[in-house]
Amino acid sequence: MKERMSTPAVEVSNLTKVFSLGLRKEYVVAVDNLSFRVEAGEVYGLIGPNGSGKSTTMKVVLGLMAASKGSAKVFGLDSGDIRARNEIGFLPENPYFYKHLTGAETLRFYGKLCGMRGAALAKRTAELLKLVDLEGAANRRLGGYSKGMLQRIGLAQALVQHPRLVILDEPTAGVDPIGSRQIRDLILRLRDEGYTVFLCSHLLEQVQEVCDRVGILFRGRMRREGTLDELIAIEGQTTLTLEGASPALLERLRATVAEEGAEVLAEGHPRTSLEQLFIQIAERGGEENQPS
Amino acid sequence: MKRLFQRLPRTVPVLALLAAFGLARGPIEEGLRARLVAANLLVPPPAQSAFEQMRQSVLMATLGGLRPLAATYLSLEAFDHFSTKSWDDLRRSYEIVTSLEPRDETHWVAVVWHLGINATANMEIDGRLPAFERERRFKEYAFQAIDFAERGIAQLPESAAIRLQLVEVYREKLKDDCAASRVYGDTIGLPGAPGFVRRFHGYYMARCPGREKEAYAYLTALYREGKSQRKPTLIKEIQDLEKKLGIPVPQRIPEADPDRPRPNQAPRRSSNVLPGGIVVP
Amino acid sequence: MRPVPLFSPGRVATIASGTVTQLIRMKTFYFLLAFALVVVAAGNFNLPATPAQELSMIKKVSFGTMDLFAWLFAIVATALLIPRDQEDRTLYTILSKPVRRVEYLLGKLGGVLVVVGVSLVAMYAICATMIGVRESLFVAAEVEAMQADGRYSEEDIAGQVGLIRQQGLRPELAIAVLAFFLKAAVVAAVTIFLSTFASSSLFTIIVSILVFLVGHAHTMASSFWLHESGNSAFVRMLVKVVKILIPDFQLFAFSEGVVLGEAVVWPLVWQMGGLTLAYLAVFLLLSLLVFVDKEF
Repeated sequence: MKERMSTPAVEVSNLTKVFSLGLRKEYVVAVDNLSFRVEAGEVYGLIGPNGSGKSTTMKVVLGLMAASKGSAKVFGLDSGDIRARNEIGFLPENPYFYKHLTGAETLRFYGKLCGMRGAALAKRTAELLKLVDLEGAANRRLGGYSKGMLQRIGLAQALVQHPRLVILDEPTAGVDPIGSRQIRDLILRLRDEGYTVFLCSHLLEQVQEVCDRVGILFRGRMRREGTLDELIAIEGQTTLTLEGASPALLERLRATVAEEGAEVLAEGHPRTSLEQLFIQIAERGGEENQPS
Repeated sequence: MKRLFQRLPRTVPVLALLAAFGLARGPIEEGLRARLVAANLLVPPPAQSAFEQMRQSVLMATLGGLRPLAATYLSLEAFDHFSTKSWDDLRRSYEIVTSLEPRDETHWVAVVWHLGINATANMEIDGRLPAFERERRFKEYAFQAIDFAERGIAQLPESAAIRLQLVEVYREKLKDDCAASRVYGDTIGLPGAPGFVRRFHGYYMARCPGREKEAYAYLTALYREGKSQRKPTLIKEIQDLEKKLGIPVPQRIPEADPDRPRPNQAPRRSSNVLPGGIVVP
Repeated sequence: MRPVPLFSPGRVATIASGTVTQLIRMKTFYFLLAFALVVVAAGNFNLPATPAQELSMIKKVSFGTMDLFAWLFAIVATALLIPRDQEDRTLYTILSKPVRRVEYLLGKLGGVLVVVGVSLVAMYAICATMIGVRESLFVAAEVEAMQADGRYSEEDIAGQVGLIRQQGLRPELAIAVLAFFLKAAVVAAVTIFLSTFASSSLFTIIVSILVFLVGHAHTMASSFWLHESGNSAFVRMLVKVVKILIPDFQLFAFSEGVVLGEAVVWPLVWQMGGLTLAYLAVFLLLSLLVFVDKEF
């Protein structure tokens, strides 16, 4: 289903954004001569510490902010063009939607803003509620939603008009590990369904799990960019993970390595991450509580 | 690099548009204001003297477009002054109230009633004051009531209610029958004027020294209009004038039915009748 | 690329209906209860006044309060909307959809005006009920008292009833409500303009109320200061500048004349409607000038 097209989903060229500090003639360069492309159908992650210019870049791509210099294009259109925004679904960091609306009303509201009406909108609303696993909370007001639920309804509203590009700003910020996992699964599902995903995060491990390509931004400048393999593989080193290996087998392997002139740099038991462990425990607990 | 952020400040076009709109609407709004004032829908700003007398809260409310509320508050306050017999405070409250709402007839009627009837009545019986002072203040309040009434009539030339209240002051307090007749005469034909004002114009004219002949002609003309005007008082007044003027018997009006009740004076306002002849249940 | 209409009344309507829902669910209509209390209190004044005076007072207090509530509500509701959307970042999600900024502003203004309009109709209904009930009670008592007295003809009684009816419920009073609506609409448009560059709701509310007060006072101020030779050139210039920049809210006080029972002059009502539209158009344009390039 992945669809590669010649027009990139996002094309940022020589983007510079300067903010003036009040009435004083002082300026801050938030983004400095930044260029990158997000190809259609890929998951692109822009990573960097807080204040590195990620959100500013995103806002320029969304047309919420004007570039001081350079340009940002979405599917070949200037980012300020309203047609470009019809192709974008955006989930801001820590989104606060209208608390007085229910989940279903929220989706209908954003759907109507995109020109959707009637049965098509009702069908899309039901689909999305199912997709983000909020069917049970569809008629509950957002004021009573947890952070993870808000993030998921936010993702659903981003997808309401079938955009080709989904922009996610810190999609898992402040969400517990299970909610975070759900969101990551959703991102992977979106990729499989052919959406282009452009996300910003400072949680490197999560980016690593979902992104095809990553750009590392620091102090407004692109420091490294490439596929994950390109960026994190260590040339000349290989990892071998065995299961059920006897001490004798391990001894023979060590001897062979030494004969070949190579060197064993590290040896031990692979560890699961604390996050993985937490999810396993939670899932096991869930299964035990299931009525038999 | 600096040229990147030297954009035209937005304040320039915003101020330009605001100023252009302000200059364009100025003459239009002045014209509209004049037409609204002419149609009595808009009240011109109160006189500066009224502003000087206002307390800060009332002034703020007035400037904030809450003129009717400020006026109502002050008229409620005036009722309070009435209950404590603070007549000078009451007059001051109504100076502001009538400045704020000069087109509200009820304010003018109320202040003429308070000063002309209530304050003067209080002066007649206030034992705390020496007789000379009471008499002086009696006249002062009566003339203040007349002054208010004249200002009210200038604002509302068609008002019968203000004139009827004024006539009470002339008639009941100052015993000025000539003035009472004049005011009744002015009231004839005004919208809302009761039918009796035509007869009363004549009755008080008859009591005005030097106008007896004129009154006789006027009252007999009314008499000739038919049964609706032939009230006992009218007949009595004509008969009194016939005697006073020595009208020959054949020219006199026929004697009325001797069994008919003949009140020997004009109906007086009973205690439950308020300004404008309005009855309080 | 999917086509997107240049301007969509549907999007404006969506934002407007969202605003109405928001204001309703914020329980803003509770202020109608406060209004009803004021009207009931006014309707039960016990004063040594004539029925006509008492009716006039009930009418003025109720309509004065209606006016106050309408413009105050227009300011507070409008000031709460845009800065709040910005603070909560809801604005990001709306403006990142295919929504033009002018549509957003129009939708917000439209929503506030719908709520103000509905509130005014509800307040008018409360008011009309109270005045109508008091009027019929006064008339019945008056007729009974005059008939019992025995000295009054049918003509006298009719005259007296007419005097009360004059201060009672008349259809023209609806024009006063229209005047309140027109004023509230201009106030809301000015508040939207202020909120496009304000940093918070509180700032917007305070500045809007200040503008409203100055907009009421500058006619009086100019009649005092511009026609007196004793004032300095600076003061006269200041008054002129204020008069140019700040709307003239005093003009909308034509409602006072209507409440007092003056005859409604329809061409003037239409002209006031036209002036209101001009104010709305210009202040929306001003808001757009600030808002269109605003960075979030």
